[in-house]
Amino acid sequence: MRSLLFYACAALLGLSLDVPAAAQEAPPPPIAIVHAKVYVPGGKDPLPNGTVVIDKGKIVVVGDDLAPPAGARVIDARGKVVTPGFIDAESQVGVVDVEEEEQTDDTDARGDMNPALRMVDGYNPRSAVVPITRAEGVTSVIVAPRAGVLGGQSAFADLAGDAVNDAIVRPVLAQYASVAEGIAQHAAGTRGGLWNMLREALEDARFYATHRGAYDANQVRQLSLRRAGLEALVPVVQGNLPLVVHAHRASDIEAALRLADDLKLKLVLSGASEAWMIADDLARRKVPVIVDPLEDLPQRFDRLHSRSDNAAMLQRAGVRVIIATYASHQSRLLWQHAGNAVRTGMDHDAAIRAITETPADAFGLKGYGRLEKGAVANVVVWSGDPLQLSTRVEHVFVRGREQSLETRQTLLRDRYRTLPVPRDGSR
Amino acid sequence: MRLASVVVLCASVAVGACLPPNNNKAPPKLAPPPASVQTDPYAEDEARNRLAVEVREEPHGAPVLLQHATVMTATGQTYAPGYVLMENGAISEVGAGDGPAPKEGTVVVDARGKFVTPGIIDPHSHMGVYPVPNTSAHDDGNEMTDPVNAGLRAEDSFWPEDPAIERAVAGGVTTVGILPGSANLIGGRGVVLHLVPQRGARSMRFPGAPEILKMACGENPKRVYHEQKRAPSTRMGNLRAVRDAFVRARKYAREWDEYVKKQQAPKTVDPRTGAKKDDGEPKPPDRDLALETLALVMRGDILVEWHCYQADDMLAALQVADEFGFRVRAFHHALEAYKIRDVLAKKHVGVVTWDDWWGYKMEAWDGIPENLALVTEAGALGIVHSDSEIWGQLLNQSAGKALAAGRAAGVKLEEEDALKWITANPAWALGIDDQVGTLQPGKRGDVVVWSEDPFSTYAVAMLVYVDGQLVFDRMHVGAPWSDFELGVRAMPPRPASSEGVRTQTPNAGETK
Repeated sequence: MRSLLFYACAALLGLSLDVPAAAQEAPPPPIAIVHAKVYVPGGKDPLPNGTVVIDKGKIVVVGDDLAPPAGARVIDARGKVVTPGFIDAESQVGVVDVEEEEQTDDTDARGDMNPALRMVDGYNPRSAVVPITRAEGVTSVIVAPRAGVLGGQSAFADLAGDAVNDAIVRPVLAQYASVAEGIAQHAAGTRGGLWNMLREALEDARFYATHRGAYDANQVRQLSLRRAGLEALVPVVQGNLPLVVHAHRASDIEAALRLADDLKLKLVLSGASEAWMIADDLARRKVPVIVDPLEDLPQRFDRLHSRSDNAAMLQRAGVRVIIATYASHQSRLLWQHAGNAVRTGMDHDAAIRAITETPADAFGLKGYGRLEKGAVANVVVWSGDPLQLSTRVEHVFVRGREQSLETRQTLLRDRYRTLPVPRDGSR
Repeated sequence: MRLASVVVLCASVAVGACLPPNNNKAPPKLAPPPASVQTDPYAEDEARNRLAVEVREEPHGAPVLLQHATVMTATGQTYAPGYVLMENGAISEVGAGDGPAPKEGTVVVDARGKFVTPGIIDPHSHMGVYPVPNTSAHDDGNEMTDPVNAGLRAEDSFWPEDPAIERAVAGGVTTVGILPGSANLIGGRGVVLHLVPQRGARSMRFPGAPEILKMACGENPKRVYHEQKRAPSTRMGNLRAVRDAFVRARKYAREWDEYVKKQQAPKTVDPRTGAKKDDGEPKPPDRDLALETLALVMRGDILVEWHCYQADDMLAALQVADEFGFRVRAFHHALEAYKIRDVLAKKHVGVVTWDDWWGYKMEAWDGIPENLALVTEAGALGIVHSDSEIWGQLLNQSAGKALAAGRAAGVKLEEEDALKWITANPAWALGIDDQVGTLQPGKRGDVVVWSEDPFSTYAVAMLVYVDGQLVFDRMHVGAPWSDFELGVRAMPPRPASSEGVRTQTPNAGETK
């Protein structure tokens, strides 16, 4: 109780005095969320009366029927639900303001071969999209390139912090390739030509990795990429950086699997509308597969077998399913995308894992996507089932700090809550 | 019989004249009615032939009694448990309890634990005109060759084999407003369709639905024509071109009126002989399909569905409408409607919008999830649309999200309000609220049985009826509607049997 009193006093002081910035940023007291339904990792049932304690940016305690530690700020979450902050495994949050205004859009570079491109270089943590996304329970995003045979390197960001260095957790997380319909014809004329381009680029990178000296001395044959591109692909061909391949047609997915086998790549599939047709194979190989459960139409000839229960069928076959939005401004709807996977037959807890643990594990994001001791304290308190339409987000913590739920949209809402709007600057 | 007679009536009279009277509670017209338009005899032939080739069958089949369900009527009344009885294609009874003892031959559906609503109406869809797959050969939604293209008809682009159609039905949608795209200031006539599998667009026409006109303001037309180095390339260019079009249409209407007046005028009499003079037949004006459409708009026979995002653009559009004496039935997209909801409520203009889209273009920058709730609170008519073949399957979810956002902002809303956003209100926007949109005796038998509360993420449509006929049964999905998907489609999925209550099918097909 003492610390609560202290906290209240500090808040008062903060209002009445011009407290120096350093004092304001003193570490907050531990936070104990109690009496909640708590989602825990490893396929275990949620804790019915769980406690989650957050301190110094980390989760320090997760358990059932535990009393909060002395001095903690206590959040009574009776009847509420606590999950890890959701991770959108493929998004464009922070790299585009207005899609229709090209000059504000840093999602795709010119040209087909951009392996050296780093999405982190375009990331803006002050984007209006960031708080809007966070206010619906997404606390981290994989910011991925959208175009190109080799599209570049994604970044992994927490949706908090004003400085890029603050927000970015991993400036380079994975490399991206696409064989989706339209790409091949644009870049190489045919699918075969595209796979040749990809294979040549990766083989050249493997060659380059062991011939850097000769390369610098200008003593190697001509390679298909320039130096920066080759450098970017070295960790891919060494199996250290995942290669995310956008492919929809089952036969295209099979081609990606062959390439990954031949070159010993760490493969992640994305899009994957027809993945359900080869689900057993994908399960056996333990390849992570990123899907959007809302994509159920034969939008193109390379996804004629799209179906809304793709995610559910993959899950039942034992595939490592990840759910993503592929969106920027609507990345905030990750919960709804996952909810629709449940609507079409996916297990509820598997759908939660598909936006927490599974992407964290697939991309080697240690401490993310799970509520357990030692994990990064990205935590969301929901008024009910996180995948349900009527549920609201009540608290969002990123690295242990509670985030404001105010957004540009809530400011607009409040300004126009009653008409006429007073033009005296009061709202 | 009722349905068939409506069809025949429509087929036998001139374009525009087959529109049912608008018996909605619309306020009186803002301006004196514009000059009327007499369509010429050729237009009459056209109208007759438009339905002569494609015949729509009269609904037939057994009466259906849905029992033991939570019946949400979209009139403000919910019966739990309640029943719905459909006979001869129409709803004949709705109420609390089990309903009347079923007559012989009635299909009795035990919908215990299920929810029954009117069929969903999506007033803004491009299914069929932008069908899937998105091949260049299918790109039939925007005629980007003239910013004023009022002579176009969306039904002439509509491909009835679009695989999106059956998926929309699986999402509980029974009626759609198919509109041309928004590249043009005046994009052409839309068409209201009933979602039943047919071989052509005309036989899917919602019987007796009024004609609708797609218009667009703001960014799209000026961008498209700026790229073509033509007018309009600015907002003022947009407004000027719209005014020009209506000025021409007004002249066109006057010319027809004068022609009709001359035709009806008594023959001149020779004062000397007392004999009637042969003045010759008056010459009819040249027919112009675009101006004819706009003249019918000014006469109030065609409803204006106007794509507009920004508050200031909507105010400018209302100004033009007042100048030319026509009414805007609804603004579509309307992301900033909440800023001018008092004006929209007063003018009785519908707000057709999404739940939470925003930010993809400048005029979408101020979209907020509370838009629908706030316009509803102000007394304007809120309506959910999809403009998307993906979200067009999830309109119940969009309404549910907008409901939750509104309640969180302190707006007092009931589930019935959210239901109206996807049923009764879009029916009004399309001018068919006398026929569908609520569960009331006399309305068409367009009814959905949901696995659970339709405002749950997990709800799926189990049974969908159009004109009292079962058109979709989730537990008995047969061959695909679309020829394109023969041998390909494996949807919609049957929910896994371990999924509990929502996978139980109503005990359909039991004949007593």
